[in-house]
Amino acid sequence: MSTPEHEVDRGPAQGESAPDATEELEWRRVHPITPLVRGWAVVGAAVVILGQQTLDGGPRGGLITLVSSGYWWTLLVALGAIALVGWGYSALAWRMTSFAVGDETVHLRRGILFRQQRHARLDRLQSVDIRQPLVARFFGLCELTLETAGGTDSGVAIGFLKGSDADELRAELLARAAGLKVAGKRPAAAQAPSDAVTAHAPEGAPAADLAAVPDAEQPLPVASLEAPQVPVLTVPLGRLIASVVRSGAMITLLLWAAGVVVVMIVTGEWAVISASLPAVLGAGGYLFNRVTGEFDFRVAISPDGVRLRHGMLETRSQTIPPGRVQAVRLVQSVLWRDRDWWRVQLNVAGYGGESEEKNSVLLPVGTREEALTVLSLVLPDLGVDEPRRVLDAGLDGDSRHESSYVTAPRRTRILDPVAWRRNGFTVTGRALLMRRGRMVKILDVVPHERTQSLALSQGPWQRRLGVASFQVHSTEGPVHPEVPHLDAADAAQLMTEQARRARTARAAAGPERWMERQGE
Amino acid sequence: MTSPFEPHDVTWNSVSPRLVTARLVPGTISLGIPAVAGIALAVTVSPWFWILAGVPAVSLLWSFLLVPRQVRAIGYAERDDDLLIRKGVMFRSMVVVPYGRMQYVDVEAGPLDRRLGLAKVQLHTASVGTDAQIPGLPPDEAARLRDRLASRGEARLAGL
Repeated sequence: MSTPEHEVDRGPAQGESAPDATEELEWRRVHPITPLVRGWAVVGAAVVILGQQTLDGGPRGGLITLVSSGYWWTLLVALGAIALVGWGYSALAWRMTSFAVGDETVHLRRGILFRQQRHARLDRLQSVDIRQPLVARFFGLCELTLETAGGTDSGVAIGFLKGSDADELRAELLARAAGLKVAGKRPAAAQAPSDAVTAHAPEGAPAADLAAVPDAEQPLPVASLEAPQVPVLTVPLGRLIASVVRSGAMITLLLWAAGVVVVMIVTGEWAVISASLPAVLGAGGYLFNRVTGEFDFRVAISPDGVRLRHGMLETRSQTIPPGRVQAVRLVQSVLWRDRDWWRVQLNVAGYGGESEEKNSVLLPVGTREEALTVLSLVLPDLGVDEPRRVLDAGLDGDSRHESSYVTAPRRTRILDPVAWRRNGFTVTGRALLMRRGRMVKILDVVPHERTQSLALSQGPWQRRLGVASFQVHSTEGPVHPEVPHLDAADAAQLMTEQARRARTARAAAGPERWMERQGE
Repeated sequence: MTSPFEPHDVTWNSVSPRLVTARLVPGTISLGIPAVAGIALAVTVSPWFWILAGVPAVSLLWSFLLVPRQVRAIGYAERDDDLLIRKGVMFRSMVVVPYGRMQYVDVEAGPLDRRLGLAKVQLHTASVGTDAQIPGLPPDEAARLRDRLASRGEARLAGL
């Protein structure tokens, strides 16, 4: 490897020999306006810090005095200087950032002092998201994030790109990850016949046919790679707001506010308000983020997997390819019951960590029909004859109703007086379904082949009652599947059999590249 | 009543009894110093300091009783396709880790562990919830287990 500076000075178009010498990479830069967009973050941070200083300014009132004095322009100069530094740094960072897409990997080079080269294998790709923050939207730019399953900060973020470029790049990445041969934008590709086999079958074709489409020998032009998507549902704004109003956080907030008012009237102290302000702001911020983040939520399906699109200030467009969903949770909080609304969350490797709240929602709120529809998008086949009956029993059935669920024994009502009837599990041909909770009802679905490891645990009380809790370990995310207080014999049997089922299911699981048939 | 922690076709391996020493030494130091200081103060300054001496002394005694049982309760078993680890006296737990799900294996040994000839093997899957560690293995056994797990994991390699 040559020195970092030298490496970058070579133009993006000249290419470089990859580890695999036969592959020629075409290095590309991100959009030249990127530094302008990134630089804003510095200015924003400076304004926030200044604002906080002013608020906490104390007796002399710091900035307020400055602004009202004749030297107000110094503030603007300082902000200007900060902005210049921010933009200058971002401009340098832009010069040092380039990416390339190979047949099997995505390469990203970045960093000014500490150079970083990241190669992400496309067959390990977990999801491709296009994110458009508010500032970037003014310029029509997007950031593309490719998640691999390497834990926190393992993804490759390529940004910013022009909207159409980002879409094109996403289509290319997904097509390559799916195992289609893709021609680059080099002259050779231009000679490909115009009536080349399109990458994907026409809209609405059943999934079984889609798998048979790829013609592995013939490279496909990039333009035909975009998989057609079929809209499935949208979440109306009214319902989203109503669902947030009826959420646990809102109830807590209102109770808190009522408590504060009562305390204030009783004591006559105004200071109670300012003391409780941080908690109220925190809860309010959470609710605000939930509404803006899940605003205009659209679910669509394409051969490349589920497409989610949502957001008000920052829009996100997520693509989760088939087989990448590790676990799904359907959850209903207590005030959603009369409308029969459900929220659907999921675990995708790489989605964990701080952005979990924004990424890991498959449906923010929907009727039972809608929730089960989106569940069937990510897990099309549960492996039972009457999936609807099994799911309904999981959503709100309990041990008083006849169902295929193995439930916790009656003696556990001491341990879990409210929800003991709900605790239970059932096994289908393809997945393990675990239900629990009575106030907040939860149904977790884990496909057998996605089980990471299994655990049993038993405390002293549980031992006396002859019961044990069963846990399935899934990747990082909002779904933590478990069944509490199962009869010891049931738990032991589930543990043994689930280990075996997971093994068989993994052996039979489809290929990582979802467009390739097995054995090719 | 059958215990779910005794699958019928499994023979458990136990860990080295030297782990008792390895676990008691740090506890003895961190609890022994306040106990001794409390006794000294109680004798010299005021009998009220017996309370200060008593709390760590009782905890120390408790740990001397508990730790040997805890160490005896740790067990692991290699089956054809997965590894079983169990632990706990009061709060018992058992983990099944399929070889094909292992992402990597850690072998760790601190200074005290090395002196006593012990090492800890920890298995990592793609889940952060997997708490699969086997403490108190002799280094040879740890190395053997590591290599075996790695080779078995490779043979059953799967994505996520």
